[in-house]
Amino acid sequence: MLLFIGFVLVMSCVCFSRFGSMVVTAQNSLAASESRGKQIYIRGTSPSGKSVLAYFGDSSLELPGSSMPCANCHGLDGHGKPEGGVTPTNLAWDALTKPYGVSHPNGRRHPPYTERAMELAITRGIDPGGNKLLSVMPRYTLSVEDMADLMAYLKLVGKDFDPGITEGKIVLGTAGPTKGPLADMSQASRAVTTAFFDELNSQGGIYNRRFEVKFIETAETPAATRAAMDRWLSDDEIFAFSGIVIAGSEKDLLPLMAERGIPLIGPLTLYPETGGQLNRQVFYLLSGIEGQARAFVEFAASKAELKNQSIAVVFNQGERSSSVLQAINEQSKKDGFATPRAFDYLAGQFDPAFTVRQLKAANCNLVFFLSGGKDALSFMAEAAKIDWYPSTFVVGASSEIFGAPFGFSEKIFLSFPTSPADQSPEGVREFSALAEKYKLPKQHLATQISAFSSAKILAEAIRRVGKDLSREKLIQALEGLYQYQTGLTPAITYGPNRRIGAIGAYIIKVDLKEKQFLPAGGWISVN
Amino acid sequence: MKLLSIALAFGLICALGPMPGVPLTQAQSRQKVARKNLRYSCPMHPDVMSSRPGKCPRCGMALRVARNSPATSPTSVPVIKDTEDPFSFSSSQIPDSKVMDQNGKPLSFYSDLIKNKTVAINFIFTTCTTICPPLTATFRRVQQELRKTGQNVHLISVSVDPSIDTPERLHDFAAKFNAGPGWTFVTGEKSEIDGLLKALGVAVADKNDHTPLILIGNDLTGFWTRSYGLSSPATLIKTITDVASHK
Repeated sequence: MLLFIGFVLVMSCVCFSRFGSMVVTAQNSLAASESRGKQIYIRGTSPSGKSVLAYFGDSSLELPGSSMPCANCHGLDGHGKPEGGVTPTNLAWDALTKPYGVSHPNGRRHPPYTERAMELAITRGIDPGGNKLLSVMPRYTLSVEDMADLMAYLKLVGKDFDPGITEGKIVLGTAGPTKGPLADMSQASRAVTTAFFDELNSQGGIYNRRFEVKFIETAETPAATRAAMDRWLSDDEIFAFSGIVIAGSEKDLLPLMAERGIPLIGPLTLYPETGGQLNRQVFYLLSGIEGQARAFVEFAASKAELKNQSIAVVFNQGERSSSVLQAINEQSKKDGFATPRAFDYLAGQFDPAFTVRQLKAANCNLVFFLSGGKDALSFMAEAAKIDWYPSTFVVGASSEIFGAPFGFSEKIFLSFPTSPADQSPEGVREFSALAEKYKLPKQHLATQISAFSSAKILAEAIRRVGKDLSREKLIQALEGLYQYQTGLTPAITYGPNRRIGAIGAYIIKVDLKEKQFLPAGGWISVN
Repeated sequence: MKLLSIALAFGLICALGPMPGVPLTQAQSRQKVARKNLRYSCPMHPDVMSSRPGKCPRCGMALRVARNSPATSPTSVPVIKDTEDPFSFSSSQIPDSKVMDQNGKPLSFYSDLIKNKTVAINFIFTTCTTICPPLTATFRRVQQELRKTGQNVHLISVSVDPSIDTPERLHDFAAKFNAGPGWTFVTGEKSEIDGLLKALGVAVADKNDHTPLILIGNDLTGFWTRSYGLSSPATLIKTITDVASHK
């Protein structure tokens, strides 16, 4: 009789736990303790600031939890990442609490886990069967509250979606100013991003998920923009950003994306951050000034008449110029040029006559102007006076360059990260169809093309990941893109160490007589 | 009511299962240790290892007590002699591959890093998260301990994923684990590193299969041995000390 009742009890437990697991299969937003636990699981740090310590190798080695968080070995999805003969246990709570116990591939067997047993495994490395866990699994110490939070999340591992994803929806973000000189540009970018994903929705979305695009207005100062974005992201969940206009606030916004782990595709900026540590979340489309300057050097190296000249770099002082200068120096070394000579000046205090004298004396016949067309023009006017026409590369110039002295005809070179030659008939057809259907603005075509390509890359990566989507998998899919044709830009390639889709530039010669740009070389790619 | 409370008690016992953490008697624990030291492996699949008898998950054959498994030796990480194991290795097998350290400095692997030195070499890659952090943390501890005893042993970590592990990545990785001077992280052209790994006998097709192995050698005496990289720092230090003082 007793036995029978016990059996019934156990069976009903089984049913309940089965049923319980069904209920949580589609978890969207996490409770407070669960999301705190998630941070402990993924980063090994506690939101409360209390210490989380890992003891490893027979407990003789104390390390901060952040160097060995759970997710390192067990993975973000809890399935475990086997490496070098070590197979971390699958942490799916259902699997660990099977009423008939668990047997592992290596023969270890134990009764089902309970919360208390899990605590013992984490703190003392003992499974419910009393077996000692492998010494690769550190023993952790953490506060009682943190343990409770972690436990709350451990029951969800592998079942929760990243912020901004639900079973049927993906929330994307785009951002830009609505006031000031960039307002029109940002509106154009927003219109394209929204139209692109609306169009995708009208075709059924991707893997039965529809897109919702939210627009975040950036403020006038970078600091205020960061604060606004931070506030927004705390209230609203956004899976990834596409095509945002952030010129000027890169330094404030990009670290925010890294902190929150939000992928960002195609931010519009001339200064992609490439040096030093990569910001894993940020994927740029085209080369900025640095990449274009490198392409200039590469181009000069390929021309016999420019090959043996000495290079001068003229720029106004600023933190950005130094990274561009460094890029030019590196590239010159690679291409066999002597070390370029740097001539800097304070912004607004350019002395063309003095600069011309200096450069002429140093016999520099290849001049790189990093600070725009205006100073370059006054330099050329001054050089023409002494009948000296060095080959001049100007970064960031536009049609004002046609005002240069005639002697400089076909001696002025400009760079563009993309050109109409990149546009394939299919790409143009796709874009114009979208423009017509959604009545996109006629202005800021370059910005629109950039926003369109960003959205297309994002959609492609989401497709490549499949239904089981997460930010980490999205980043991996993006890193796997190789020579992807957007139809409107050069082919896009990313990699674990590469965050600029098309590294290089088109070099254009300026014909001053006919007032036209002539191609000087095809696409110059720099690696 | 009574029935219910009995049932509840029964359920409670079921839920608790074997009590974890209950101290074993001495005899029990000795027995347990003895049994623990036995390893079972499949006669057809020697890489299938288990701590208890059973069937091979691949072919279903009964597992047998493994003879030469490291765990049956008196120390958990033995210095393997040539007679017991086909492992024989000499400095002459180490190529002078053109490699780079974590600061991007070009080096010749044998002449700059091995020649006339006692070294311990492990194999890592910076995007590896399961075994490389523990391997590296262990190495860090080994380095600290060796410095305390004044032993001059050079540590080398070779990347098995050179196309992704740029010197910058290795530099960040080294900084994360506070690697001190006298510890070189090595990367380079894929073809060079592949050749090096092959020569050292640790080449694998998939980087995730790389073994947590440590090569320890003394170029002056020409004595080389291997060790399991995830064993405790104390065991590793003992092996390294043995090799360093090997005559």
